Amino acid sequence: MGCGVSKSDQFHKHSGKAIRAAVLIQRWYRQYVARAEMRRRYTWHIFQSIEYSGEQAQIKLYNFLGYLMDNFTPASNERNLISHIFRENEVCRDAEWERYFCYKNIEVPEIYSGPHLFFPLTVEQAVGLVEAFRNKKQLHSRYVLQLLAETWKLFRMMPNINRISTCQSKEITICGDLHGQLEDLLLIFYKNGMPSLEKPYLFNGDFVDRGKDSIEILIILFAFLLVYPSEVYLNRGNHEDHIVNLRYGFTKEVLTKYKMHGKRILKLLQKIFSWLPLATVIDQKVLVLHGGISDTTDLGVLTRVDRHNYVSALRPPKKRHIISTGTSIDSDVDEDVWGTNKSFQRRASLIYPQPLGTRGSFHNRSLQDFSDRIRGKEEDDLEARKRRQSVFINRSTEKETTLTVSTDSDSSDNIRDEWKQILDLLWSDPMSQDGCVPNEVRGGGCYWGPDVTEDFLNRHNLQLIIRSHECKQEGYEFCHNRKVLTLFSASNYYDVGSNRGAYVKLGPDLVPYMIQYQATSMTRELTVRQSAGRTERSALKVLREQLFAHKSDLICAFKKYDSNNTGLVSLNDWATAVESVMHLGLPWRMMRGQLVTCKTSDGTVDFNEWFNELAIKRPNTDHIDQSLLETLYRHRSTLETIFRIVDTDNSGFITIEDFRQTWKLLSVYLKMEITDEAISDLSVTIDRNQDGSIDIDEFMEAFRLTDKKSRLERGRSMFMGTATDLTKLDEDPNI
Amino acid sequence: MAPKKKEEPKPAAPVAPPEPERPKTPEFDPTSVTLEFTPEQIEDFKDSFQLFDRTPANEMKITYAQCGDLIRALGQNPTNAEIIHVLGKPKPEDMQTKMLDFDQFLSIHQHICKAKNRGTYEDFVEGLRVFDKEGNGSVMGAELRHVLATLGEKMREDEVEQLMQNQEDPNGCINYEAFVKYIMAS
Repeated sequence: MGCGVSKSDQFHKHSGKAIRAAVLIQRWYRQYVARAEMRRRYTWHIFQSIEYSGEQAQIKLYNFLGYLMDNFTPASNERNLISHIFRENEVCRDAEWERYFCYKNIEVPEIYSGPHLFFPLTVEQAVGLVEAFRNKKQLHSRYVLQLLAETWKLFRMMPNINRISTCQSKEITICGDLHGQLEDLLLIFYKNGMPSLEKPYLFNGDFVDRGKDSIEILIILFAFLLVYPSEVYLNRGNHEDHIVNLRYGFTKEVLTKYKMHGKRILKLLQKIFSWLPLATVIDQKVLVLHGGISDTTDLGVLTRVDRHNYVSALRPPKKRHIISTGTSIDSDVDEDVWGTNKSFQRRASLIYPQPLGTRGSFHNRSLQDFSDRIRGKEEDDLEARKRRQSVFINRSTEKETTLTVSTDSDSSDNIRDEWKQILDLLWSDPMSQDGCVPNEVRGGGCYWGPDVTEDFLNRHNLQLIIRSHECKQEGYEFCHNRKVLTLFSASNYYDVGSNRGAYVKLGPDLVPYMIQYQATSMTRELTVRQSAGRTERSALKVLREQLFAHKSDLICAFKKYDSNNTGLVSLNDWATAVESVMHLGLPWRMMRGQLVTCKTSDGTVDFNEWFNELAIKRPNTDHIDQSLLETLYRHRSTLETIFRIVDTDNSGFITIEDFRQTWKLLSVYLKMEITDEAISDLSVTIDRNQDGSIDIDEFMEAFRLTDKKSRLERGRSMFMGTATDLTKLDEDPNI
Repeated sequence: MAPKKKEEPKPAAPVAPPEPERPKTPEFDPTSVTLEFTPEQIEDFKDSFQLFDRTPANEMKITYAQCGDLIRALGQNPTNAEIIHVLGKPKPEDMQTKMLDFDQFLSIHQHICKAKNRGTYEDFVEGLRVFDKEGNGSVMGAELRHVLATLGEKMREDEVEQLMQNQEDPNGCINYEAFVKYIMAS
C-alpha cells in the first residue's frame, strides 16, 4: 500500500490523523511522566524519613546510655555492663600508644598480591593504590597502619580551620559525602583527574559508613594527602565518629576485611577522626563545612577549641591531665566516675539545674539537654580528680599537676558551648523559614534559616557556605538565596537510580561550577523506567518491614477505629492510624495501592489480613514469643549497635552473659517486660554451636523479611521490559 | 485580531478536548463547575496536593506550572492546551509565580475529569497505524520520533528518548500494539 507513495504525499493525506495520533501519544506520555514523578517523590520521602529516624534513634540510644550512667545503683547488674561499655583503652601514655599502633612486627607474606608502600609516599604509589582498589585488591594491614600513623602525624599539625586560596588561577575541586562508595570516587577522578599540584581537592566529610569500600576511600584520600599536603584538604563529617560507625557499617567493614588487625586500625582511626579539621575557608570568602551553622556559631571559638578532645561529637569531651613529664594522659570523664568514686550517688538539685524527670522523658531529649548533665558531672569529677591528683603529686618530682578544667562555672560553660559549636557544625540542616530550632529529626545540631545565614555571612565577612550532609537528587542544591550550597557526591545513595552525585569547581572568581554524574555499573542494562521502578520497589520493601515491625502498635491504633470489632477499618481511618504510629509524614493514602491488596469491595481494609500479607518468615522461631520477635526486628539496628558497643575488643563475638545483659538494657529502654525465660530461649537458639558466645553477624543476618507481596512483584516484573532486561532482574538479589 | 481566530495552537486542539471544534472557545468559569467527587476522593487529592506543595509554610498552594502535572499524576491526561485553557490562559511568566489553592484546583480537576474522549486503546492503535507503511503492525522508530518531536504538542528530544528507550527492535521497528500497551501500563 505504501510502496510507491512518497513520504510527503502520504503525510499530507494523513496529516489530520497523524497530528491527532501524535497528540494522543504525547498526552499519555505526559501523564506517565507526571505519575512517575509523583512516585519518585514519595519514594524519596520514604528513604529519607527512615534514614533520619535511624540517626535519631542512634542519638536517643546514646542519651539512654548516658541516662543509665546517672541512675544506676551500685548493686545492680547493669553497672558492670555499662562500665564495660564506657571504659575504653584508658589511661595510656603516648609512648604506649605508639607501641600499640606499631606496624613493624607485621610481616607481609610472599603470596600477598596487593600494593606495597614505601614511605615517604610518592604520587606513583598513590595512583597505584587507586588502580589496585579498582581491581578489587586489598591493602595489607601493615601498610594500612603505617599509612595511618603518618596521617595522624600530619593532622596533628593542622589547625581547626584550614585557610586556602585559589591564587595562580588554580581551581579547587570540592566533593561532598562519599559514604564508602568507591565507584563514585573513581568516577570523579576519571572525569576530573587525580589530585596534583595543579589540581587541589577538598573533601567535605562523611567518607565512611553505608557503602562497602569506606576503608579504601580513606586510604586513597590519606595517601594523596601525604603526597600533596598543601593541595588536599579534608573536613570532618558527622560519620567520622566511631560511635556512629558502630551503627552504620564502617566498624563492621574494617573488622571483616582485617580480621587480625582490624581493632588496632579502628583505634587509630578513632584518633585520626578526632584530629580531622573542622572546616575550610577559601579566599576568606567561602566557608566549607560538613553540616552547617546555627545562630550561635562563632568561627573564633571554633578556631580555638581543642578539637581532638571531641573523639565523638555525640559524647561530652574527654578531659586531659598534663603531667610534668610533658606526656599526657587521656582519660574518660566516665572513667573517673567509675574508677574511683565507688559510692557515687545521684546528687540533688544543687548540681542538676533541673530534675531529670521520669524514665520516659529521655526519649524526647536532644543532646543539648544531655549537656546539662555534664556541668553537674564536672563538679563530681573534680572531687575524684583531686583524690587522684594527690597520688600523682606524690609520684612526680618536679612541677605540680595542672588541670585543664577548673572548678568555676565559666569553664564548664565553655566546654558546653564548644561542644554545641562542634555538634552544630557537623549535624545541622538548612530550612526555608527564618530562625534557628533544634534538629529533632536527626537528634543533633539544628535547623537554621536564611536570616541566620545572612547574619553569619555578614559577621564573618563571607559570601557563600558550601556544605554536604544531605542527599540531593541532582547531587547539589542551592538555598537561602543561593548563599548556601549543598553538595552530595554519593550517587545512587538510597538505591540504584535514586540520585546523581556532584562535585564543585571553584576558581578565583569564587563562582561555583557543578559537575554531575551517576555511577552506572548496576544500571547499565536497565532503562530509566526500570531503575526508577526498582528504587520504588526497594523503598516499599523497606517500608513494609517497618510497618510489620510496628504491628502491635498498629493493631492497637486500628482497634480504636473499629469499635464494633469487625476487623475492618475505612481507608481514611487506616491512613490516619498508620501515620499516628509511624510518624513518617508519608502520603499513605496515595501509596495504599502498593501497601494494601486485601481490600473489600466497599473500600474498607481488613487489617488482620493485611498483617498476614506482611508476615516475617524465619525458620525455627515458633517457640519464640512473636511479640519478642517483632521487637527484635523493629529495633535490630539499635540492637546491633548495642552489641558492637558491648563487644569492646571488636572481636565480633559477645558472651551469652553480655547478651543477656544487653537484653535487659534494651527492655528497660523500650519499657518492655521481657522474662528471663524468653531471653534464655533466644540465647539458646542463637548460640548455635553452644560454645557460650554469639556471633553478632550471624544473628543479624537471620533477619530477612520475605512477604507474599514481594514474591508476587518478582513474578510480575518478569512480564515487564524486554528480554535483555529480564535476566538482570532475575539475578538481582535485592528484588 | 481576526474575529474568528482560534486562540490555541491550531491543529493540536481538535482531537480530544471536551469543547467541540468551534471557532471560539469560551473562557473557563470555575464557578460553573459542580463538584461530583466523593469525600474519599477529595481526601486522596489532598494527599497528592500536599506532596506537590512546596510553599515554606505548607500553605496548601501550588504554582500554575504544577497544575498540569498534578492532574496527570491523578490519572487524567489532558493536553497542554486544555490545561492552559482551564487556568484562564495565563502568560508564560505567570506559570511559575501565580498560585492555586486546593479549592480552585478541585474545580479545575473536576472539569478535566468530566471531559469525554480520553483516548482508548483502539484510538491509539488507529493513530499509530497511520505510520504503518507496510501494514505489518510495526512502525519505524525513527519516523515516530520525528513525529512526536515535530507535530502536535511537541516533545523534546530527551522526552522522546525516554519514551522510546529500548522499544525498537534491531531493525529500528516498533510493534505498535505492544508499544501502546506499554505506554498505557504506567
